[in-house]
Amino acid sequence: MKKLITILALSLVSLLHAEDPLAFRNDSAAVANDISFSHLSVFIEGGEIYPMGDLMDAVKNTLYGGVGVRYTYWKNVDGIVMFQYAYFKPNAKIDYDGVHQFMGRVGIEWKWPVIHPVALGGGFTCDWTRADVENFDWNKKGGTLASNETEFGWYARISLPVFKYEKYSAGFHIMWEHLWTLPKSSNMLSAGISVERSIW
Amino acid sequence: MNSFLNKIFATLAVSATCVLASVDAEMEGMEVVSRDDGTFLIGSPTFYFDRALGAGGIHSESELWTPRKLRYRLLFNRMSILPSWDPIETPSVWMKTGNEIGDLIYQDFLTDNNDRPINRTPILEVGVRTPLFHGFWGTFRLFQDDHYCFYSARSYRMNQVDGPFSFFGDNWPMFSSAYGGLGYTNEFINASVLAGMEYMWIFTESSRWIPVQYKPRIESRADFGNFSATLVYENAEYQNFRKKETGERKEVNGSLVYNCGESCKRGMLQLSAGLAFRFVDDDGVVYTGLENDRVVWPFLEMRFKPMNQLKFDVMFGVNDRDWLVQDSVEYQLPVPEKMNITVGAKNISGTHLNPIADTHEYFDGDTISLTTSGRMNLLQGYVSIEDTLAKFFSVGLRGSFWAEHGAETFDTEEFVDDGIYTFRHGDVARINSWIKGVTGEFWLKLWYKELLNFTALTGFERIDGNEKRFEVNPAEFFVAFNADWLINKTFRISHSLRYRSDAEWNLRSRDPYIVKGDWYWDATFEQRFPKYGISFAGSIIQALGKEVIEAPNGEYSRVRFFCTAKKAF
Repeated sequence: MKKLITILALSLVSLLHAEDPLAFRNDSAAVANDISFSHLSVFIEGGEIYPMGDLMDAVKNTLYGGVGVRYTYWKNVDGIVMFQYAYFKPNAKIDYDGVHQFMGRVGIEWKWPVIHPVALGGGFTCDWTRADVENFDWNKKGGTLASNETEFGWYARISLPVFKYEKYSAGFHIMWEHLWTLPKSSNMLSAGISVERSIW
Repeated sequence: MNSFLNKIFATLAVSATCVLASVDAEMEGMEVVSRDDGTFLIGSPTFYFDRALGAGGIHSESELWTPRKLRYRLLFNRMSILPSWDPIETPSVWMKTGNEIGDLIYQDFLTDNNDRPINRTPILEVGVRTPLFHGFWGTFRLFQDDHYCFYSARSYRMNQVDGPFSFFGDNWPMFSSAYGGLGYTNEFINASVLAGMEYMWIFTESSRWIPVQYKPRIESRADFGNFSATLVYENAEYQNFRKKETGERKEVNGSLVYNCGESCKRGMLQLSAGLAFRFVDDDGVVYTGLENDRVVWPFLEMRFKPMNQLKFDVMFGVNDRDWLVQDSVEYQLPVPEKMNITVGAKNISGTHLNPIADTHEYFDGDTISLTTSGRMNLLQGYVSIEDTLAKFFSVGLRGSFWAEHGAETFDTEEFVDDGIYTFRHGDVARINSWIKGVTGEFWLKLWYKELLNFTALTGFERIDGNEKRFEVNPAEFFVAFNADWLINKTFRISHSLRYRSDAEWNLRSRDPYIVKGDWYWDATFEQRFPKYGISFAGSIIQALGKEVIEAPNGEYSRVRFFCTAKKAF
């Protein structure tokens, strides 16, 4: 009731406009404290993906490669955006050669001050897949992948940028990915190397 | 503070880490999915039952016309925010995409065809609003929500229309909308003209989903001085491909309102007045009708505030068919000063909850009357108390009693099975006996600077009346834990963990349809970049709860994830 009266009391014009979800940009203190993008680097990476659990019966290990952007978010935390590609070959009897998979990830990475240069990260992942086939029977096994299929999930990652030379750094990483698929969720482990160049 | 209280606060603080208040909605108008303060049952983005516990009466909020909904969409007889044609105010570009979780991906290699889960479906929205250029701006928005559209409904709807019925994809979603246009804003006027096209499935009293294609829809708005004007033209195309039926409705609707201005609001008596109207011209088979093909609805709003603690509010509308009054009085007790004790009463009386809606629905030779004689009266009295006990802690409670006579309902004369769906014949009617309700709500708030805002709230409601004639028996109980975290002013985590008890649809199926009570968890994680006006957010909605159909002839409400990127110019 109180809410209703408050609402009615406001002018119609103001009521008809939604709250600005980007209003935080007008917070001068937040702007002053924002050190995001004070450093930015790009990286390329590659490695191998290992399906885990039940998924080992579905697809084989495969290589992957990708690019990414790392930017300052907080003092000791970076933001990460990654795009990767892999071609998965079935480990079961499926009437096509493989599946194209594109992966997009957005997350953050915390530079662990105790064990330098270990960084611990995590975020959301989105995998887009499509079978390497045209006009496939939807009713056959693997048929759903003949059209675009997408699934979300989360990832956790440990990065070890052990080599550093001027603007370049290189190192290893291990990543666990969990996709919210059905009838069971899907897990994959990947390990690879990254080469990174600082832009500013 | 003693150790016992310390333990309680510590427990609540921990609880706050697994719960939220402002989880992002998957689409503007879909906020009801994450509402936790009553009964919110979603049949589709274009139809839901939304009733806050303590609102009084047995109707849902979207069934009731009020002046603040003048620029809402009228979907059959309900006022809906979605699909919103409110231009986004902030000059920005945005994109949103997501999916119900549960596609198979490589699990398909291990799963028999017959064991495959039903296909999961996405949402999509892209839009832009340009910065001002000599006062002019442009906007474009494309959005569709494919949730609540698969399984049984899809095959039925595929046969109902000639070809795909959306801008994107093959899911035959419940709405798909695109529009663009120009606006002009300066200190005296804010005006816009938008034009677009829409695909929509509208739910009716017979429980049918009716496909409507707006081709085109044009909406113009102007806010100048204390006036707001809206003028809309819609060319709505109707079809039933199975029956080879087609129809067309050309409609002009809109409103003109005088709002109480700034100086007016400082006075003791505040007046606003306006006029809403619809004119329709039907040709061919159109499945609903408006008496005399027109409705003109003048209304008046008044606030009388003789002192700071006391205010009276009245809304009164009348035309040749209907009248509707919504009024209230509220008094804030001056003592004890810090307790913030408010007592109030409200009344809703009228011949029809939505006087601008269509008056008839046509269903296989039957004319369903959407209006009925007589009137409804809803009376409610309440008291609320909110006390800030410390600089970081407040508690509140609200209790109310309400009684309603003449509540709108539906008298079902016959059910019809149409393969997948069950439809009904009958007419809108009244429950000409008193329905009484008593409600109680209790809430507790904790906050720490801007880092944390936590609310725990619970409510119960006991309703006594002819419940078998209620469209929906609302849930009797809810409990919710909400929290917003803002870390370093740049990382937001919002949670909502809540439980709602059983609710029941009585009149849209032969046997009552019970929507079982369940726990739900929603969360949003957002990275903010204040210096650059950028936001990246990911949200998971309807987690924990069992995936169920929440409304007869509706579709499954599934767990979904979506992400949003926005950049202000």
